Amino acid sequence: MMTPNERMTSRLGLWLWRFWAMTLKELIQLGRDGLLVFAIAYLFLFDTYMAGNVGMNLNNAVVVVHDADQSAASRELIYRFQPPYFKQGGEVADVRTGQRLLDTGGALVVLDIPPRFEHDLLTGRPTAVQVQVDAANTVLGFLAASYSSQIIGQYGFDQALARLGQSASALENVPIVQSEHRVWYNPNQKDAWFMPLSELLVVITIMSIMLPAAAAVREKERGTIEQLLVTPLSSLQILLPKVVAMTLVILLGTAASLGLVLHGAFDFPMKGSLTLFFTVTALYAFTTAGLGLYIATIARNLAQAALLAILVLMPMIFLSGAWTPPEAMPAGLRQAMYLSPLYHFIEMGYGILLKGAGLEVLWDSLLGLTLLGAGIFGFGVHRFRRQFG
Amino acid sequence: MGKTALVSDAAPVVRVEGLRKRYRKQTAVDGVSLAVQPGEIYGLIGPDGAGKSSLMKAVAGVLAFEGGRIEVFDQRIDSEAAAEKVKGRIGFMPQGLGLNLYPELSVEENIDFFAELREVPQAMLATRKARLLAMTRLDRFRDRPMKQLSGGMKQKLGLVCTLIHEPELIVLDEPTTGVDPVSRRDFWAILTQLLRERGVTALVSTAYLDEAERFARLALLHGGRVLAEGPPQAILNAAPGTLVELAAPAQMEALERLKPHFPDIEAVGGRIRVFVPDGAHAAALERVHALLDGLEVHETSASPPTLEDAFIILLRREQAVEEEQRTVARRTDDPPPADGVAIEARGLTRDFDHFRAVDQVSFSVRQGEIFGLLGANGAGKTTVIKMLTGILPPTGGAGAVAGADMRHAGWAIKERIGYVSQAFSLYQDMTVRENLRLFARIYGVTRQHLDARIRRVVELTGIGKVCDELVARLPMGIRQRLALACALVHGPRVLFLDEPTSGVDPIGRRRFWEILVHLARVDGVAILLTTHYMSEAEHCDRLALMHAGQLIADDTPLALKDALQREAGQVLDIAAAPVLPALQALEAAGMGQPALFGRRLHVLAQDVDATRARIRTLLEGKGVTVHDITLKMPSLEDVFVHRILARERAEAGR
Repeated sequence: MMTPNERMTSRLGLWLWRFWAMTLKELIQLGRDGLLVFAIAYLFLFDTYMAGNVGMNLNNAVVVVHDADQSAASRELIYRFQPPYFKQGGEVADVRTGQRLLDTGGALVVLDIPPRFEHDLLTGRPTAVQVQVDAANTVLGFLAASYSSQIIGQYGFDQALARLGQSASALENVPIVQSEHRVWYNPNQKDAWFMPLSELLVVITIMSIMLPAAAAVREKERGTIEQLLVTPLSSLQILLPKVVAMTLVILLGTAASLGLVLHGAFDFPMKGSLTLFFTVTALYAFTTAGLGLYIATIARNLAQAALLAILVLMPMIFLSGAWTPPEAMPAGLRQAMYLSPLYHFIEMGYGILLKGAGLEVLWDSLLGLTLLGAGIFGFGVHRFRRQFG
Repeated sequence: MGKTALVSDAAPVVRVEGLRKRYRKQTAVDGVSLAVQPGEIYGLIGPDGAGKSSLMKAVAGVLAFEGGRIEVFDQRIDSEAAAEKVKGRIGFMPQGLGLNLYPELSVEENIDFFAELREVPQAMLATRKARLLAMTRLDRFRDRPMKQLSGGMKQKLGLVCTLIHEPELIVLDEPTTGVDPVSRRDFWAILTQLLRERGVTALVSTAYLDEAERFARLALLHGGRVLAEGPPQAILNAAPGTLVELAAPAQMEALERLKPHFPDIEAVGGRIRVFVPDGAHAAALERVHALLDGLEVHETSASPPTLEDAFIILLRREQAVEEEQRTVARRTDDPPPADGVAIEARGLTRDFDHFRAVDQVSFSVRQGEIFGLLGANGAGKTTVIKMLTGILPPTGGAGAVAGADMRHAGWAIKERIGYVSQAFSLYQDMTVRENLRLFARIYGVTRQHLDARIRRVVELTGIGKVCDELVARLPMGIRQRLALACALVHGPRVLFLDEPTSGVDPIGRRRFWEILVHLARVDGVAILLTTHYMSEAEHCDRLALMHAGQLIADDTPLALKDALQREAGQVLDIAAAPVLPALQALEAAGMGQPALFGRRLHVLAQDVDATRARIRTLLEGKGVTVHDITLKMPSLEDVFVHRILARERAEAGR
C-alpha cells in the first residue's frame, strides 16, 4: 500500500512530473535505437556535407572532338575547352563514334569541326561548328551548351578582331555593352552554401515527421500504448512528450549540422540571429510533428509509417522551393506553395542565415508558418486523441 | 526398412532422433528423441518456447533442421524431396485459431479449396465432407464465411481441412489453445472417433497440463529438451509423492511454516496444496500435521500428485531454480488492509455495431479476494475489464471500482488500480529499473519515495537480480513479474490482470500465483484476473464463467463442483483394456457421456455404486478387462462444459 504522502498532490506538479517521465522515456528509447541514431547522425551531418560537395555545377564535362580540319585554328578552338568546366576526352575518327559516346555516357559534349574550317576563317567566309550536348540532365546540358557557345562565340570574336588586324586593346574604340554583375548574399555563388542549407532544412522536415511518427507507431506496434491508456495519462500527456523529445533531438542535430558542416566545412556566413533561427526551427519541428502523429494513427507498423511519410514529404519538398525556385513554377502550383510549411521555413532559413534578415522582414513568413503549423498540429493531435483518447 | 520391421511388427510412424534446431543464436530444439506408435495420440506438452512448434513443423516436413534425424512412415526427412514423398499421408494444422484458413471464404469453400490442393476426387469429397461436417457439427454453417465463426468453430474447420485428404498421421499444433471448453471437448471427441474408426496417428501439442491425461503417451518439453517421456502414469512415477490438501484459517502462517520443508506448496483458493515427496499417504499427512501443530486445520486430504506437480518436480531437478526470499512484511505506516467491495459490476452491457460483446454482466469482488473471469477467446472477458478500467464506455449498466463510479470517475479509477495486460506491454528497449521508474512517476510517486517504492515492489516480485537488464533479454516468466511490479508500484487497492500467465512455464506460473496470494491475503488487494487455464482457475477464491458475452456461473470452485455433482452426477474414472472397444460398448449402452482420456475412460454417474456394477458387467460381457473404477473429483472444465451445454439446451428449448 502507498501512504498518501508518497504521492504527488499538486496538480501542476503532477502534470509536469508525468511530462518529464514520459519525455525522458522517449529520449532513452531513441538512444537505444542504434539504427535510428545512425540515421539521424547520417542525415544531419553526412548528408548535408555531401550536398555541399555535389552541387549542380559543370565540372569536368568530357568533351570529345571530331576534328575534320586538323589545323592550327581547330586546335586552338579545341584547346579553349578547359577545366574546371570541361575536360578533354580525346578525338574520334567520325561523327558516329562521337554520337555513340553520347549514348553511352562516355561524353557530355561532342564538338564537330568541319573540314576547311581554317581555310574558311582565313578567307573570311562564315563557317560553323557543331556542338552536340547530352541534355539528359537538363541543368548540366543547359550549362554545357551555354558555356560551349560562350567559348565558341569568344573564339569567333577573337578571330574577327585578328582578321581586322586589331589587337585586343583596340576594343576600347569599339562600341560595346559591358554587363557588370553584383552578386549579393552569396557573392561567389557557392553551391556549397546554398545546397547544404537547403538540405538541412529538408532533413529537419523529414525528421520532424518521421521521429514522432516512429515513436508513436512503435507504441502501437508493440502494444505498449495499451498499458499507457490504463494509466492516468491523458492523450496529450502521451503525445506531447514525444513531440517535445523529438524536437529537442532535431534542434541538437541542427546545431551540430550548422556548427560542424555548414560553418566548419563550408564557412557558411551565419549572418542573422541564431536565436531567431533556432526558435523558428523549434516552432517548425514542433508543429510539423502533427503530420507524424497523424501518420501514426493510420499506419499499423513502422514500414507503413515510413511509406506514408514519403507520400507526405514529396509534395511538401516539391512545393517548397528547395529543389525548384518558386518563379519556375506554373501559376497554380506557385499559389499552392504557400500551403507547404517548408516553403515558409526555407524563406526564413535563407533570410536569417544568408541575408541576416530579422522579423521586421520575415514576419509574413513567420505568420504563414505559425498558421499552417497550428493547423497541422491541431489536426494531428485531434486524430491522435480520437484514436487513443 | 527391413531393420525396423524386425524390431516390432508395428514400426513407429514418427521416429525423431537427436533433433536440433536453431534460430540464429536461439536454440529451439536441443537433442529431442521420441517415437510415435501407429494409432496413438501422442502429446507434446510444454510452455511457450519449449520447442513444440519447431519439432512439429520439422516432422510435418515444413522446417529444415540442423542436426539429428526424423523418419516419418520409414521415410527419412532430410530434404524437400523426401518430405514431399510423405506429405500426402500427413495432415498438419499450424498454431493459431484458423490461421491456415481463408477468412473471406465460406466453410464449404475452405474445405473445397483444401480438397483441391490435396487432389481429392469429387465423388469422395462429397461423402468425406458430409461426414466431417456432421462430426464437427459445422454442417449448419456451410455457407457462413470463416471470419464469422467463433474461435472454437474456426479450429474445428481447421481440423476438417486438415483431414479432408484422410491423412494417416495428423500433426496438430496447440489445437485447443484459447478455445472454449465445449469446443475443446468436441475436439477431443472427434480425435477419439478418428482414432477408433480410421486408426489415425496423432501428434498433438498443448500448453495445458490438464490435457495431458488425454494422451496415450506424451513428452514433457522444456527449453528444447525432453524432461520426461512415456505414458502419463510413468511420468507420475518419476516424481513419487503425495499431494496433501488442507484448509487452514490462518493460511499465510501455515504457508510460512510448510514452505521451508516443502518447496512445492501453493494456496489454492482458501485451501493449501502441498506436495510431500513421500509415497505413503498416511506418512505424508503425519508430516504435514506435525509441522502445523497448534494451528487450526481441517478438511485434510491426501491424493496422488497431478502431472503438473510432476512437471514442476522434474523441472526443479533439471535446473536448480533459484529461490529468492520474498516475504515482505507489512510496514507500520501502511494504511490498514482495505475491507468491503472493491469491484462491482451491475448489468454491464457493451455493443459493437450490431454485435453484443457483453450482455448484462453483474458480479462483485471484495477486498482481499482473487476473482477469476473465465471464458474462451471472444467470450467478452477483455471487454468487461476494459469497461471496468475506464478504457471503454459501457453501452448500459453501471459499476464501481475502488470506490469510484466507472461512468463518471474513470480518471479516479485509473489512479487507484493496477493493470497487467494480456500481451506483455512494457518497454523492451528499456531496463527493468527504467520501466519501474517510468510507471512510478506516471502514477505520481514523489522523488523522495521513488526508490523506496521501487525497492518494495522489486522485493515483492523477486526481480532484484535483473534490475539493470534490458527487458528484451528477460524470459517470459520474469517479464510477467516485472509487469506485475509496474502495476503495483503505486500501491493500488485493486489489481486487474488480463491473462497474465499465458505462455509462462509452470514454475513461473506458480511463483506468479504466490505473489498474487500474498497481495490478496496480506495487503488485502482485490484481484480480478482472466485466464483460460482451467487448472489456474482453481486458485481463485471465486470464479465467474463467461460464454458468448454472458455470465453463466459465479461461485467458489468447490461450490461449482458440488453443484455439478448434484446436477449431473459423479465422474467415474475407468481403467479398462482394450480401451476403444470399452468406449464403444459404453456409448452403445447410453452410459453417461463417456469420454476417452488416454487409456482411461470417464463416465458421469448419479448413483455411483449401481453404475459401477453395471459398467463392470457390461464391459466384462464384451470381453474387456476392467482394472479399476474410481471416483474422480470433477474438474472445472467438467463444470463449465456442463453449464454451457445446459445454457444452450435452455435456449434451444425456448
